[in-house]
Amino acid sequence: MNNINDPDRMQIEILKRTYLISILPIAFALISGEFETLLGFIFGLVISTLILRLRVINIERSLDMAEERAEKFIRNRYFIEYTIYFVVLTVARLNPSLNYLAAAVGLFMIKFTVLLWMLLDMVRGGLNKKLKEYKKLKDDKTEKGGN
Amino acid sequence: MVELSPEIIEMVIRSASVIAAGLALIAGIGPGVGMGYAAGKATSAVRRQPEARGSIVTTMLLGQIISGSTGIYSLVIAIYLVFT
Amino acid sequence: MVEFSPEVIDMVIRAAALLGAGFAMIAGIGPGIGQGYAAGKAVESVARDPEARGNIITTMLLGQAVAESTGIYSLVIAIVLIFTI
Repeated sequence: MNNINDPDRMQIEILKRTYLISILPIAFALISGEFETLLGFIFGLVISTLILRLRVINIERSLDMAEERAEKFIRNRYFIEYTIYFVVLTVARLNPSLNYLAAAVGLFMIKFTVLLWMLLDMVRGGLNKKLKEYKKLKDDKTEKGGN
Repeated sequence: MVELSPEIIEMVIRSASVIAAGLALIAGIGPGVGMGYAAGKATSAVRRQPEARGSIVTTMLLGQIISGSTGIYSLVIAIYLVFT
Repeated sequence: MVEFSPEVIDMVIRAAALLGAGFAMIAGIGPGIGQGYAAGKAVESVARDPEARGNIITTMLLGQAVAESTGIYSLVIAIVLIFTI
């Protein structure tokens, strides 16, 4: 339901749902006793949260500039984020107590959450619309049948 | 029969993986171009309607999350290849 | 006739597979540019009509998710090449 107009509230909503969905892999990692996967996943989650915050700050700062300057600004900031991702992934790779695959999956959690949220909204919206249509058909039918 | 020592075999495989990592990182320019275009449009949109600033920031944030996470796929493969 | 020992043959195949995985990941440029373009047009149309925001965002995310799938194809091929061949 994207009737949220405020960027601050939107960030909080995205982060709430991300942490809700990520309880599942964390529970599996805790139960099966693999400490490295757990650490790698939490590492990826934390870094992706921080980068989300950085993106909001960059967007807000770029809206007051001229058009050409805003393009170059966002492009340079994206390369800085790319370097941050590079450092994070290298640390996860070279460290024997962090699982590399878990860190990569943790970095993608926010995107996965947003897509799942949209899918659920579409399904829910479509179901409500179909229910209303069927109800309208039933009301029309009972009116005609009553007459 | 041509035989090579194990060190040469390992060296060839290692150099091939490093070249592949360098090629894979060409895909870093894609999201940069796309996000820059979106930022330019956002600037002119805010100039048109300054009241809709919150909506514009939220929409652009959602677009950027998806677009920026696609450039990371190549980085993941490249870091895996570089460190054997 | 030149003969190669089995280790040399395996080495050549493995090196070529790794190079192929590197070439395959160049295809990450496509979804990046396309998804950014869709985000830009969505922002522009939100400025024209701020009431229709929910529909605009849903359509944009739908288009971006479909464009994502081609990037996933190349990722799958690269993973298969690195880990299996």
